[in-house]
Amino acid sequence: MCDQTFLAIVFGPCDRCSREKPLRPVYIKSEQLSYCSICVEMMATEGLHENETLASLKNEAESLKGKLEEERAKLHDVELHQVAERVEALGQFVMKTRRTLKGHGNKVLCMDWCKDKRRIVSSSQDGKVIVWDSFTTNKEHAVTMPCTWVMACAYAPSGCAIACGGLDNKCSVYPLTFDKNENMAAKKKSVAMHTNYLSACSFTNSDMQILTASGDGTCALWDVESGQLLQSFHGHGADVLCLDLAPSETGNTFVSGGCDKKAMVWDMRSGQCIQSFETHDSDINSVRYYPSGDAFASGSDDATCRLYDLRADREVAIYSKESIIFGASSVDFSLSGRLLFAGYNDYTINVWDVLKGSRVSILFGHENRVSTLRVSPDGTAFCSGSWDHTLRIWA
Amino acid sequence: MKELMSNSTTSISQARKAVEQLKMEAYMDRMKVSKAAADLLAYCDAHIGEDPLIIPVPASENPFREKKLFCTIL
Repeated sequence: MCDQTFLAIVFGPCDRCSREKPLRPVYIKSEQLSYCSICVEMMATEGLHENETLASLKNEAESLKGKLEEERAKLHDVELHQVAERVEALGQFVMKTRRTLKGHGNKVLCMDWCKDKRRIVSSSQDGKVIVWDSFTTNKEHAVTMPCTWVMACAYAPSGCAIACGGLDNKCSVYPLTFDKNENMAAKKKSVAMHTNYLSACSFTNSDMQILTASGDGTCALWDVESGQLLQSFHGHGADVLCLDLAPSETGNTFVSGGCDKKAMVWDMRSGQCIQSFETHDSDINSVRYYPSGDAFASGSDDATCRLYDLRADREVAIYSKESIIFGASSVDFSLSGRLLFAGYNDYTINVWDVLKGSRVSILFGHENRVSTLRVSPDGTAFCSGSWDHTLRIWA
Repeated sequence: MKELMSNSTTSISQARKAVEQLKMEAYMDRMKVSKAAADLLAYCDAHIGEDPLIIPVPASENPFREKKLFCTIL
């Protein structure tokens, strides 16, 4: 469903060194050439050309930014909510807390669903990572990390392992075992090493690779078995706080959001930033792809959530209200993409109509900030975690 | 002197990379918002029937809404 034709990463002989590699378009004296990433670096570090100074490069950058805005504005012929006027309005929603998961001793910071639509992994400030059965609310596994503030956790696609990390600057993978004699912590495998805290992690389509985001401003792709760094993604000017992988089966892109107010879309194979969006007024806490993969939503400390369309290359909707003044910490879409659930620092969850831009419902229940929110894989419910030490399942 | 030179080469390379990145972003193929919005609407329409949070499935089929008790008396 998602057409990744907006930037085809070509594989072929580099125009400079003739080696067969993934190529990027490069513009030299208004001619378009294809260079491999090493030749791009070499070209960038060459001495100054004739008539080129640092100031002239900066001026060129400024004028290009202006051109970029112009190009984006040319195609801005209509607003999303105008197109959506002909769509039927949604009815009243009755969503209640169906389960409350109690057991964490401190703030819940992150959670993830297992593909079996039933199990949940959650992590908290006190270093505990717990795997729950959401139907029965029983705890199936618990592990204590050697660090506090476990800000990221993820379930492996196979359901056989979990990954987590935080202030230890690492991402560790724990295989899940039902053998009562085995100590889960003994089989721990350290996969990622960053130079600052781990803010987000996610397995790719298999158990073999993990994508991480860190306070050191970079994202990285790791091989789980060997712990080797496969690709790193540089470009954010400050801490990266969140990431999400494109939903396509053959997905090779992901989006990340950071404290530099930018959301950036990356190509996983080349490490290159394909698109970037800078319209938020504050840190972006959460990004999530629209189910079709053609757009993504972001939640920020500026109290708004925004929708960016990848093919139109611009922001197409803002979800905000004057009465909402606290930051949005996490966002997720319902299965069809019609609803956007956003958890806020004012303890509430707002449900937005994605197409019309209006708020459909507001959910109360948590007694402190909502820090994490994910819709279940089959869309029957969503789970929210909060600083009030609990997780709630809503349906 | 050497330090100054290496500082300027780093900032030149950074500035060059920024220019290249912006060139690539400026020249990318874009679609009109009207078409992109229409596609988003079409996707929603196509999938809204399967969305259990919008069109609720009967309580017996939603494992969270049914009132089953999971405790057994041994």
